[in-house]
Amino acid sequence: MSLEDSPADAPENTGGAALNPKNSAFNYFEGSPEEKALGLFSIVGAEGSFSEEDVQRIPRELALRIYDGMLTVRVVDRRMMALQRQGRISFYGEALGQEAAVVGSAAALNAEDWLVPALREAGAGLYHGLPLAKYLAQIFGNAADVTKGRQMPCHPCDRDTNYVVMSSVVSTQIMHAVGIAMGMKLQGHSGRMCIGYMGDGGTSEPDFHTALNFAGVMQPPVVLVCQNNQWAISTPGSSQTASQTIAVKGLGYGVESLRADGNDALAVYEVTRYAAEKARRGDGPTFIELLTYRVSAHSSSDDPSRYRDESITLEWRERRDPLQRMLGFLTAQGWLDVAGAAAREVALEEKVRELIQAQEGVPMPSLESLFDDVFEAPTWLLDEQRESLLAEDRS
Amino acid sequence: MSYEFHLPDIGEGVIEGEVVSWLVAEGDAVALDQPMVEIMTDKATVEIPSPRAGQIRQIRFKVGQICPVGDVLVVIDEPSSSKTFSSSGFDLGRVPTQPSILMPPPSTPAVAPPAGTSDSNSRVLATPATRKLARTLGVPLDKVMPTGSHGRVTNEDVQRYAEGLSSTSPGLLSAPTPADAMARVHIVAPQVESVRLPAVESARPPVSPALEERVPFRGLRKRIADNMTRSKFTATHFTYVEEMDVTELVALRARARAKAAERGLKLTFLPFIIKAVVSALKKWPSLNASLDETTQEIVLKKYYHIGLAAQGPNGLMVTVLRDADQRSLFDIAAELERLGADAQAGRSKREDLVGSTFSISSLGKLGGVLATPIINFPEVGILGVHKIAEKPAVYNGEICIRSLMNLSISLDHRLVDGWDGAMFLQEVKTLLEDPTLMFMEMR
Repeated sequence: MSLEDSPADAPENTGGAALNPKNSAFNYFEGSPEEKALGLFSIVGAEGSFSEEDVQRIPRELALRIYDGMLTVRVVDRRMMALQRQGRISFYGEALGQEAAVVGSAAALNAEDWLVPALREAGAGLYHGLPLAKYLAQIFGNAADVTKGRQMPCHPCDRDTNYVVMSSVVSTQIMHAVGIAMGMKLQGHSGRMCIGYMGDGGTSEPDFHTALNFAGVMQPPVVLVCQNNQWAISTPGSSQTASQTIAVKGLGYGVESLRADGNDALAVYEVTRYAAEKARRGDGPTFIELLTYRVSAHSSSDDPSRYRDESITLEWRERRDPLQRMLGFLTAQGWLDVAGAAAREVALEEKVRELIQAQEGVPMPSLESLFDDVFEAPTWLLDEQRESLLAEDRS
Repeated sequence: MSYEFHLPDIGEGVIEGEVVSWLVAEGDAVALDQPMVEIMTDKATVEIPSPRAGQIRQIRFKVGQICPVGDVLVVIDEPSSSKTFSSSGFDLGRVPTQPSILMPPPSTPAVAPPAGTSDSNSRVLATPATRKLARTLGVPLDKVMPTGSHGRVTNEDVQRYAEGLSSTSPGLLSAPTPADAMARVHIVAPQVESVRLPAVESARPPVSPALEERVPFRGLRKRIADNMTRSKFTATHFTYVEEMDVTELVALRARARAKAAERGLKLTFLPFIIKAVVSALKKWPSLNASLDETTQEIVLKKYYHIGLAAQGPNGLMVTVLRDADQRSLFDIAAELERLGADAQAGRSKREDLVGSTFSISSLGKLGGVLATPIINFPEVGILGVHKIAEKPAVYNGEICIRSLMNLSISLDHRLVDGWDGAMFLQEVKTLLEDPTLMFMEMR
């Protein structure tokens, strides 16, 4: 239905889908494929403005949960960066400025959905149910880490919550996400879907093409989310692609492609929910570009002031901060006040510090665990090596 | 209780960091996570928050000093009631002193076991196939003298040992032989060195430490190396040499020297050469230029700051004579004296050391015959000045004794063609051979 067919005074709930008022942000979904891929869906604007009707469909509890999820990312990131500088962990990658994209998208998932992260989506995992203690154990690489300290920090995984480990290799995971979703389809659609993430740099990789092509052809229940934070380490978006938007690339593969303000948590949630529900219904894949900005360095080993104009970063940090925007929305709704937000932050920081202290106290994985998991039953050679290693003098 | 903070590897595989600034001073109280110090590594400049609350007792590395990763950077006194040191479980032994992610630490032991001790525990390098062979032949791997690269035991070593086993009494083999000891010494040779050595050479015993001295490669030496490497691998150098007859210049300078002495100035040939170079640069602007690789533009400079490469107290230094086109010869002589004295005393200002547009490398009386100077990147040209010597020369159709001098110029062929370079040097030659011409263009 086109906008012209739905006058503002038309009765609501005329049988099927609700008709949106003329000024509703949700009219975005009625646009042509090109309009959706080139446009930008947003509910709460950068200045904090929103339409009362649009936000009626957002439950208070959900909004507060999303805010808490975003706050968790910010507080954990802040602590872990300090720990890295103090030499207590070896590496960290924060998601500063991208909390809305990370958490808003995860908020649209059901518990049985699968999540395949790129690299900055640990916060999505935490929202999806990955216990924070497990995440911290992985960063410390201690004996409580399910991967026994063998992965680089910040690469958690959690079988219990269908959170797949990231690989660090750019874009391989997009194919994994599509493959997992194809498996879901082969098993018969059971109302589940898989979300797979990538960065703007990932869309230049051959794996992006392969994954999108399979998604278009096989129509699996997958939602592919590109967090366009405009920097692939030191490569700016302008050198990344000549495409007008990243979303529009999906159209060439016959995949519905959407584009939303990645710093507007509610817009991210709604756009992902639209795609996730479509996938669960068996109506095929969606490609989503979330426009955001990497306010932080790429990782604890990076110094962006050496290659970009940090006055632009300051603009995103101070005027487009996703947490501030969400807090502005919550206070405007009367769901949270500034004192309440501060109390939440203090309590969360306290909890995070306690969990860190507990995980820092867990010893390293045992030396002999090096030999585990190579073969189902160790060979004589591994046995011999383990014995020889353990017999060495370590004083 | 005092807590020693060891500089951690704050990037991936960083080995040292320079102290940019201290945000606390000795004696200051410091809170947990309070920003303490700014450290610059080759990857990033980062602020390190204090891992402890307490009082700064001792700062071990001052601003500008390089702290190796793993060294104690600062000592913090903690209140005696604090129990964080032991309860946090944060063990300093874990601070990696080796690059931990990109480069696994050497798998060989750090020290050789003393000769004669039981070596059943020492780690032997061998491939699984060799281990299988040793197992089949009943050969104890740790008794075999390795000949492979990195001290690896090869199949041949195992076979040789097995053959020896059948003809030698076992009693002899259990005692370590000199060959055994030598093999083990080789195993602990520095990893880097053994990586570079081809397999054939690796069986050679390493040079005794008494015959070599190892000097840390850092500071000014490292910066010089980095700059030279960048220049040599970026600019496509070509060098061109010209001989000139400077008999008249020698005479002129001898007369002017007395005048300079009245002003307390020491007049060398360098001011004349600088003036000639500036005149020629004005004629051939492509030599007073640089390449802006980010914008893909050639920057032609309308100012003439001449870099002067000279041996400083700690190594090569380039001091910068600014606005050489606007200075008189005496003025240049005075400025050269000041630059030299400041450099020797280590009190050069920043503008004395940066911003040159073309450089001159003068070896003074040492001089040499010719050189292939390395461009002071990103400039495009450097002039090497050689000694003036009296030599037989043909002058006005006769052989007579004249004062001759060579100039070597290296240019970046990406921006300057051979023709421009030759014409430039020709112009310099013309001016130096007949220095009165120089005054025609002077301001």
